[in-house]
Parts: sequence; C-alpha cells; structure tokens
Amino acid sequence: MSSHSEAIDERDVVNLRSVRDLFAHADPVPSDLTERMKFAISVQALHAEVAELIDSALLVTRGPETAVEPTPTDSVTFTAASVSVMVSWGASDTSGTGERVRVDGWVTTPGAQVEAVTADGSRSATSDTNGRFVLDDLPHGPIHFLVTNPANLDNRPVITPTIQI
Amino acid sequence: MTPTPTASDGLGTLAGEAFAAYLRGDRERLSELVDLVTPVLWNAARAQGVSPATCEDAMQTAFLQLVARADSINEPAAVLGWLVVVVKREAWRLSRGSRREIGVEEVPEAPAQQLDPEAQSILTERQRLLWQHISQLSPRCQELVRVIAFADRPDYAALAASLGMPVGSIGPTRGRCLQKLRTTLGADTGWAV
Repeated sequence: MSSHSEAIDERDVVNLRSVRDLFAHADPVPSDLTERMKFAISVQALHAEVAELIDSALLVTRGPETAVEPTPTDSVTFTAASVSVMVSWGASDTSGTGERVRVDGWVTTPGAQVEAVTADGSRSATSDTNGRFVLDDLPHGPIHFLVTNPANLDNRPVITPTIQI
Repeated sequence: MTPTPTASDGLGTLAGEAFAAYLRGDRERLSELVDLVTPVLWNAARAQGVSPATCEDAMQTAFLQLVARADSINEPAAVLGWLVVVVKREAWRLSRGSRREIGVEEVPEAPAQQLDPEAQSILTERQRLLWQHISQLSPRCQELVRVIAFADRPDYAALAASLGMPVGSIGPTRGRCLQKLRTTLGADTGWAV
C-alpha cells in the first residue's frame, strides 16, 4: 500500500511521462511558438524597429527541364524607415547535398552589420561598399535578420520578421 | 530535447543557469531559456481553460516582462516559477478581458481540464484510458499533474507553489495528487501492462 507521504518513485515518474505524452499529443505546443517568442523578445530587448516584409517572389523553380540549374532560389525584401534588405537563398555549395543554405543579400547601407539568427545560433556579415553580403552554411528552418549600422549608432537596429529558408 | 530527470539538474536549474548567463551578458542564452520553458508555460496557460491565442499572448507578456525587469530579478534560479506565476495570472486577466492586473495574493483556481473533441479523437486507446482517469482527479490536481509532467522531479515543489498549491503538497513526497493518480491507475486492470 503506497502513501502520499512516501517519496516520489519510478512509478510516479512513469505515470507523469504518460500524462506528458497525452497532453503533448492532444494539445501540442504550436511548432513556431518559440520562434515568435524569441522574436518578440529581441524586438523589445534591442529597442529595434521591425522591418516590413515587402516581397516574396519565387525567382527560380525546380522543374524537369532545369537539371543543369538544380538550385531553387527564393527571394524576399524587407523594408524599414532607415534601411531595406533583400535576401535570396539557395542550397549551399559547402555540402552539395542541399542540407545547408547560402544567403546572398543586399542592404541599402554599405558597411552595415547583418546578423542572421537561426536555430543554430547567430552569424554575422558586414555589407561591402555596394551593400552586398553573403552568409553561407546556414541551416534550413526559421531565420531572421538583425541589421545595425556601426557608422551611425543613432539609428535603431532593424529586425526582420522570421522567414523559412 | 527533454532534460533527463536527475536530482541536480532539473528543468528549473537549467532554466536558471541560462537566465543567469543572459544576465551576465550572454544574450543568446535567452533563446535556450525560451526553448527549455515553453512546454511547461504552454501547459500552465492551457490548463487555465483559455484559447491558444490567449495562451500565446500570456506567454509573450511573461517573457517581455522578464526581459524588461531582468535586472530587478533577485533570484535567477527561480525564473521558471516566476514565469509560471506570470503566465497563469496573465491567462486569467486576458480571458476576463480585464485591464487590471490580478493581485499577487489572488491565485485563481484552474477549471477541470478539457480536450476538444478533435483532440480526443486522435488519442490512442491507452491515452483515452489515461484521460478518463485524469478527469476523475480534482481540478487542482489535474492542473498540477499536467504542468509538472513537463518538468523534472526536482521542479515539482516549486511549480506547485507557483500554481498556488500549499507548500509541501508535492515533492519530495508524492503528495495527494500523484497518490490519487497512482491509485486510480493501479486499480485499473486495463491500464496495467
């Protein structure tokens, strides 16, 4: 006969694991909920301006006739008061298996620092004199960008909405 | 993904470490905190019988308050319990359409847990059986069992306190809620494997 004043034992832990499986199955956490939370936190913590998603165009689609060009490329433009950013992405050359993603971008500010925040953490690049930047070897999945201008710290950082690459 | 329950590093400890590192300036560790605590917070919010959208708003408010008040939080180690308290209060405030904050001393009691018909239809036979047994528990026990199920053994006592249960209601001893669950499942010949 067990009592409520005894120590929690393995059986209780197994029972609770069943309870967890039940609720995780019947009422799961929405899959992108953590990304939305992290985004909201970043915006507040950085006093950032949220860029608007302007354009989402499928530039090249994979088709039976495009065997020589097997890289589907998508492109998106974000705009904010101080800056606009265009990014396009496709399979990275580093893996050859399409497991990693290369992002080619262009920002209206030369010398801007562009930070890509992914499930793997964050990676930075600085735009060249033409505003171009490259971020290679990124994981597929949710990503957002944080753009700061080291030459003009009076401007608020700009954060883009999260997109899937 | 799910932390292994051991005496030393429960979910609350891991969350506390991530938050302490964030406070020391390691900005990225806040993402880890969000990943760690989201399942517990989601279930703590959903246990209040409010809509998914309201739960999401309540969680967002809790995280934003955490960031805004980060410097004034004295015990980083207690961050999991702090978040559960705020999420529960926010879920209630939002669901009542109330503008006023719910007082610290005022801890609303969760309703009996509900699963919508669509969710019930996807349960396995065994989960359906478990759901029947959970439904037999008191609403307070249903809420407690649901929330602690997403944490680890060392966290039970602090989570119970955050939900407004009396100190000593669970952990390290089994407490009445886990005892009830154990007894009712143990008496069901259909549950025993």
